[in-house]
Amino acid sequence: MDSFITTFHIDWQIIIAQAINFIVVLFVLYFLALKPLKKVMKERTEKIEGGIENANKNAELIKNTQKEYEAIISKAKEEAHIIFKEGKEEAMTKKKEMLEEAGKEVEQIITSGKKLLESEKTKMIEEAKKEIVSLVVLSTEKLLESTNTKNFDEKTLEQIKKI
Amino acid sequence: MTTEYETQNTEKNIETHKDVISNEYNLEIETNSSNEEISHEATLYAEPIFHIGNFTVTNALFTSWIVVAILIIISIIIKIKIKQIPKGIQNFFEFVIEGAESLCDQVTGDRKITNKAFPIVFTIFLFVLLNNWLGMFPFGGFGLIENGEHGKMFIPIIRSGTADINGTLPLAILSVLGANIFGILSIGLWKTINKFINLNALGSIFTKIKKDPMILMTAPIMFAVGFLELIGEFAKIASLSFRLFGNVFAGEVLLASMGAMLAYILPTPFLLLEVFVGVIQAFIFAILTLVYYTIASQDHEHEEHQEKHQENKHELEGAH
Repeated sequence: MDSFITTFHIDWQIIIAQAINFIVVLFVLYFLALKPLKKVMKERTEKIEGGIENANKNAELIKNTQKEYEAIISKAKEEAHIIFKEGKEEAMTKKKEMLEEAGKEVEQIITSGKKLLESEKTKMIEEAKKEIVSLVVLSTEKLLESTNTKNFDEKTLEQIKKI
Repeated sequence: MTTEYETQNTEKNIETHKDVISNEYNLEIETNSSNEEISHEATLYAEPIFHIGNFTVTNALFTSWIVVAILIIISIIIKIKIKQIPKGIQNFFEFVIEGAESLCDQVTGDRKITNKAFPIVFTIFLFVLLNNWLGMFPFGGFGLIENGEHGKMFIPIIRSGTADINGTLPLAILSVLGANIFGILSIGLWKTINKFINLNALGSIFTKIKKDPMILMTAPIMFAVGFLELIGEFAKIASLSFRLFGNVFAGEVLLASMGAMLAYILPTPFLLLEVFVGVIQAFIFAILTLVYYTIASQDHEHEEHQEKHQENKHELEGAH
């Protein structure tokens, strides 16, 4: 042991000093560098993990919103299609109704026109008749006056008047 | 009479041994400026360079102080410049720490143990690495010229802190002591003591002798193994300290030898080799410390119980 101590110049004071050196370095490095660095690294990792988690949540949310949007759009399309179809059907019915109504009205107008025409015709015929009669009477009278014949008996005259 | 003769013989042997050591590493540097020879001995021990009262400051201790100062300055810079978004030195240290931690995980197999042991292991690595490297820095450079027994002697002002057993021994002691304290904190005082003084094994003679008479044979062996473990702890200190000291000192001697043969050119490849050796030795010291920490934190009895339980379970399953 003595030879070991003398050969290597073992000095307990230096051993203690070297131990103190190491302990000082350990404490300084731990409290000034390692601990704050690890704290920052941990915080950053947590932030990154949180960020990734949020991004995943947002992606999920976007996916869901997209799905909802697509569902709403397809629903709206379906509804629009239905509304369009209904509208078309309604328009067709309306058109049909209107055509029918127009047809009826045309028919009515034609009928009333016909009626008016008929009544006008009748009226004209009657008027023509009246005019013919008056013309006949007038012509007969003139004829009679011009002829001055008293061959006509009064009965025949009466008959002509009746006509 | 015989004892006196033996003592004289031993003293002679020591003296011869000292001469051999001194002669083996005696590398002389000749200077013609004052027509006097200035010799430089690559001694096994660190040379004193100045005194503070009764306290002798050796060149190895002085180098260690420089290392301490460098590490304190680096720590302060990191503390000041620390930011959420890393830059420069912080970026480098974060990269190193992350790599070192994942490496430690491979050794410990448990992140909790890594987190607890890492500050000590990492500090050991940096402290040893800088000491190893700093010893090479002023190769043949600054030093003191003192009048020795054999004329003028050149004493380098800087010698690697790890090239002195007084520098590696406290590191090894703290490493092994720290591992055992860590063991006490991890598995408890009783279990840690029982690793070395296996009182459980002795106690089991009285409790298990009826069930297993072979315990009379095995328990004393277990008790003796405990003592071997205790001796093993001292062996750890010796192996850690001497491995590091031997390697770094051999490196310095190698560089000095090469420098004496052909200065500037010949030492260069060896200097690069020593830079690599410095890293390897620091790494070995740190990893071995981590291994001791990991071993100390493991409860062997608990593992044995678990193994037995597993075996019983398998036997029962086999029987069914």
